[in-house]
Amino acid sequence: MTFCLSGFRSFSKLWKNNPYLGLVPGYSPHSLFLVDSYGIWNRQRWFSLKTVSPQNTKALNLLKAKTRYHRKGDEGSNKQVSSDSPHLFAAGAARKRAEMNPQSKEPVSSPVRDTIQLPTRPLNSEEWDKLKEDFKGKGNFENWISSQITYSRSSIDVAKSLLAWVAAKNNGIVSYDLLVKYLYLCVFHKQKSEIIDVYEIMKVRYKILEPAGYSLLIRGLIHTDRWREALLLLEDFEKVMIPSKRNYDDCIQGALLHQDVNTAWNLYQKLLGHDLIPMLETLEAFFDFGKDIKDHQYANKLLDILLYLRNNQLYPGESFAHSIKAWFESVPGEQWKGQFTTIRKSGRCSGCGKTMESIYLSPEEYEFLKENIMRNVIDGGDQYKKTTPEELKRFQNFVNNDCPPFDIVIDGLNVAKMFPKARESQVLLNVVSQLAKQNLRLLVLGRKHMLNQHPRWRKDEMEKVQKQASCFFADDISEDDPYLLYATLHSGNHCKFITKDLMRDHKACLPDAKTQRLFFKWQQGHQLAIINRFPGSKISFQHILSYDTVVQTTGDSWHIPYDEDLVERYSYEVPNKWLCLHRKT
Amino acid sequence: MNVSFTFLRPFARFLVPFTLQRKTNGVYSTILQRYMSSKIPPVPCPNKESTSPPEQLELDGWKITMKSSVQEEGASTASDSKDEDPVAATRELIEMWRLLGREVPEHISEEDLKTIMESPSKSSKRKYLKYLYIKEKMKKARQIKKEMKAAAKEEAKTDRTTEENKQRDFLFLRLWDRNIDSAMGWKGAQAMQFGQPLVFDMVYENYMKPKELQNAVCQLLESEGCNRRNVDPFHIYLCNLKTDGDYYRELVKRYRERWDKLLLTATEKSHVDLFPKEDIIYLTADSPNVMTTFKHDKIYIIGSFVDKSMQPGASLANAKRLKLATECLPLDKYLQWETGTKNLTLDQMMRILLCVKNTGSWEEALKFVPRRKHTGYLEISQYSQEFLNQLKKPKTFNPFPKGSLNVCTKKR
Repeated sequence: MTFCLSGFRSFSKLWKNNPYLGLVPGYSPHSLFLVDSYGIWNRQRWFSLKTVSPQNTKALNLLKAKTRYHRKGDEGSNKQVSSDSPHLFAAGAARKRAEMNPQSKEPVSSPVRDTIQLPTRPLNSEEWDKLKEDFKGKGNFENWISSQITYSRSSIDVAKSLLAWVAAKNNGIVSYDLLVKYLYLCVFHKQKSEIIDVYEIMKVRYKILEPAGYSLLIRGLIHTDRWREALLLLEDFEKVMIPSKRNYDDCIQGALLHQDVNTAWNLYQKLLGHDLIPMLETLEAFFDFGKDIKDHQYANKLLDILLYLRNNQLYPGESFAHSIKAWFESVPGEQWKGQFTTIRKSGRCSGCGKTMESIYLSPEEYEFLKENIMRNVIDGGDQYKKTTPEELKRFQNFVNNDCPPFDIVIDGLNVAKMFPKARESQVLLNVVSQLAKQNLRLLVLGRKHMLNQHPRWRKDEMEKVQKQASCFFADDISEDDPYLLYATLHSGNHCKFITKDLMRDHKACLPDAKTQRLFFKWQQGHQLAIINRFPGSKISFQHILSYDTVVQTTGDSWHIPYDEDLVERYSYEVPNKWLCLHRKT
Repeated sequence: MNVSFTFLRPFARFLVPFTLQRKTNGVYSTILQRYMSSKIPPVPCPNKESTSPPEQLELDGWKITMKSSVQEEGASTASDSKDEDPVAATRELIEMWRLLGREVPEHISEEDLKTIMESPSKSSKRKYLKYLYIKEKMKKARQIKKEMKAAAKEEAKTDRTTEENKQRDFLFLRLWDRNIDSAMGWKGAQAMQFGQPLVFDMVYENYMKPKELQNAVCQLLESEGCNRRNVDPFHIYLCNLKTDGDYYRELVKRYRERWDKLLLTATEKSHVDLFPKEDIIYLTADSPNVMTTFKHDKIYIIGSFVDKSMQPGASLANAKRLKLATECLPLDKYLQWETGTKNLTLDQMMRILLCVKNTGSWEEALKFVPRRKHTGYLEISQYSQEFLNQLKKPKTFNPFPKGSLNVCTKKR
């Protein structure tokens, strides 16, 4: 079954990533160029790796459908929640969950507009004139046809003949947008001499360009001998706007290509100075280049990059992980050994047996987070928004004075609504009594309406809940999640909370990315999610990760989590594949 | 067209620059001369000649003119490109964007340019430019329309002068607009004395960005207008209106000298100071209570707040703070809601309240809810049926398998 699943995942991804099939249908001819201009090299890289022909994807689709069918059958037969269901925060889990209850069909591809047959060879003026007469669409024929040519990535000769025709009609002047589109084609086909020609033209014709022009020129020039002029262009660009990280990436790649390490690092520093997050490709390029350099300083800078990844909770991609591994293994005299592994549930690396960093926050971090949750999530500048001051007071008294620290805090409403067909109070009571049997101190958070007599909230059951657990009921128009967070944080590090809520809205209330990451780390270590599929069965929880998924080192070992190419990871998930590097002693 | 234009002509090699533009021969031959003699950095033209097939040469013809025609301009632009003025550079950048067919305005004022340069991010720049672009386009369209109208009027005038010369008998002079205005003024004065108060709470000034504030003021103007035209207008209060605030400035700017003659009460005081607390009902879409009927003895409050930046619960928080009763419109009860927020604009609220006040019928009043937001009216019977079903369901349906529970369920 697991094989099936992973196969299924990868196929769907393959299918999605296929540049032609994925993108062709829904594009309007005019917008394509601008949207697309950034993706060229990437796409080419892709191409060199794997090419999927249309027929192939059809087969894949079929396979996909089959596996889905297969999986469904499987599930039906052993009505058990498999213990290897992905962790709430594991990479790909959200995608999987979405596939389990498929609601929307795959987007229907809009039919490709049948229009004029694009020329496949250079045309002469009469032919262009004729084509223009045939054109019946809205707008300018030249614009339209140049977009089409650019979009279908025709050979540059076709584009050239178009430009020649336009120039002939227009006193030898070709407008800027046609020029940029032509440049795009040249860059796509890597025609160095053409790129330089266009560069010359643009240089004399316009004293300043706009971002698309700059980006294309930079990208084109770095592969030529005149790559240093790309850096000048970047400087020009900086005067009017902050260049994108991709522009820097291009320049850095160009500098590395021409063995100018200092320039590359300077550009990298500039990139960080603009508060841009570098592309992983940029970092990868540094590692790739490092293999040939036996320089202590350079090595230190690469280690700095790894620390940057750690501090910003970035995860390298699969090929990047390979580059890192190759670089470490190439360091002379240090004898690094790298392997791709996973981490066991206990938090030990299956490769070397070392224990990963704990998921628990340090005391200072813990205090900081608690303070921040109180200030930003519950209070948020206006206590009346989520609660009222009276209620807050009541809650604080309740947590501070009335009771000892709790072991588990339960989001009453979330748990009770787990099974839409079962009665709420019954589900809640079921969960509470099962937990109470294990001698855990419980806190149930809820709203006042739960206490009112109602067919779905029976009084006798709620009384039993109150006997077995401490309860706090907020007003019906107050939010209970902030209280849940605070009560858990207040009780201490051992305390966990039960809810299926991913708490993204509360995370968003936190002021900066650092605090949000701290919150996420804490959440991973303390959230229990019930994974039962049927009411009444013995409750089982998602296991809690005991280790933190982050780039980490102990000096003579590195553990680096990475994203697999074929797994789609959501922002609130963490990768589950690792690169384990250690030094032989 | 000349035959020598065809691309596959093998002997066209040596003619290219000449044959290509035979019609403008005079101009281009000089250009060519300059090209030959000038100090333009040697472009890889010569080596191309040796490597590429002959028909390619013709394809490259345009480049020569593009490069060489620059020479004249180059001298003039070279001087001012040296002084690196960021303002000029931005202006230039916008012009380049326009050449590329982006949505940017053609003309741009110094003030707008400053706003653009100060905007913190690329996307905010782009958004502001698009806004200016649309504004410019609309202005242009209006201008054209105006001209067309003027022309039509002129034409009609010439037609009319020929026929309209004889005297006729009328009962009234054509002073309708003025009459209507004064009648509305009388009614407004009456409302000031005996009308039901309707409060706009202007406390949200600081929650809004300049653009949202402007939108809010527009909506206020609109709602004041439709209140004025109504048979039985409300007595409008603008509470918490600070005289040094943005709202006040913007309102005075829009109403000009009429501001002091408006038949409404604008005050710095809060609504809780003017009216007894128990009579006040704060209208907010976040309220848990649904408005069932319009009460003629209550004071309804509308928060004059346009929220584009997602601050849910701001008005509910305000009501909670002052411990006021809250209500929301019964939108779900009467309409099959489709898309959009349930926050309506101020003028829509005003129209709905006026209508429900005068007729008492929600179906009639909720016609002012934008049509795009709902698919149609719900049958009332259907709603109550659903409601009943909801109540019934849990009693009859117990999905728990009997043995699986460790709780006694028989107790009842």
